[in-house]
Amino acid sequence: MNGWLVAAAVLLAGGLGAAVWGVATGPLGRRVVTQNMTTSLVCVAVLLLAQGYRRPAYVDIGLELSLLGPIGTLVYARLLADDLRPDPPRAPRLTAVAAAGTAAVVIALAVASGPGRAAVKLLLVGALLITGNVVASRALAGGIPEEARHE
Amino acid sequence: MNDALVVICLLLVAASATAAVAVRDPERQALVLAVLGLSLAVLFTVFQAPDVALSQLAVGSVLTPLLVLLSVRKVRRGAGPKTRRGTGPDRGGRDRTRPDAGPQPPGGRGGRDGATG
Repeated sequence: MNGWLVAAAVLLAGGLGAAVWGVATGPLGRRVVTQNMTTSLVCVAVLLLAQGYRRPAYVDIGLELSLLGPIGTLVYARLLADDLRPDPPRAPRLTAVAAAGTAAVVIALAVASGPGRAAVKLLLVGALLITGNVVASRALAGGIPEEARHE
Repeated sequence: MNDALVVICLLLVAASATAAVAVRDPERQALVLAVLGLSLAVLFTVFQAPDVALSQLAVGSVLTPLLVLLSVRKVRRGAGPKTRRGTGPDRGGRDRTRPDAGPQPPGGRGGRDGATG
């Protein structure tokens, strides 16, 4: 029995299950915020899986997700800006919780993998993920300037 | 432990795929499709296929929603450039966009029944 795999299973069953429910129901703002948070959730789960399977190469999946996930959210923030403008979705508390959880898990993984290139790579993925999450949340909350919205 | 992970991922993929079919609005469908792509990537990771998961992430999380949203934009702009500004009242009047993104009508049911019977 592997503790990392148990943590990944709990995270996937609870978090991603709630994310599927949140993205399939409710107003549009909540759905977009849920999609943004799903990126952080799945990336952390993949990092936990990489540690659980003892395959450091799987960290590359988390690296790609931490780069592409916020870009996907920015696509929504740009193309759904007309629909989101009347009620811009703000979720500062959820963003802070996601950032704190990501930081905690990444630091735990870096400590477990020992000092070296792997730990640096994990910390880089965590920093990219937190930065992307905050940037995407601010873009969803109306961070896109007015002159960029023309057509 | 790995069996439990596989079961969890399969259930998540089934749930999100059902939600993607059940949601009718194409823009919201794109959001569900993004989550479906992420859960598929986790499933491939659990199946020890990281290369497939990498390409699934690139396609599922960015390219598919971008294509869907750009297509919806294009269709709406072609339907009426003046009504695009108002988001509220013109949503119900354009049923032309619905059959394009909805599920395909069952066409091969009769042939399948004949093959099995």
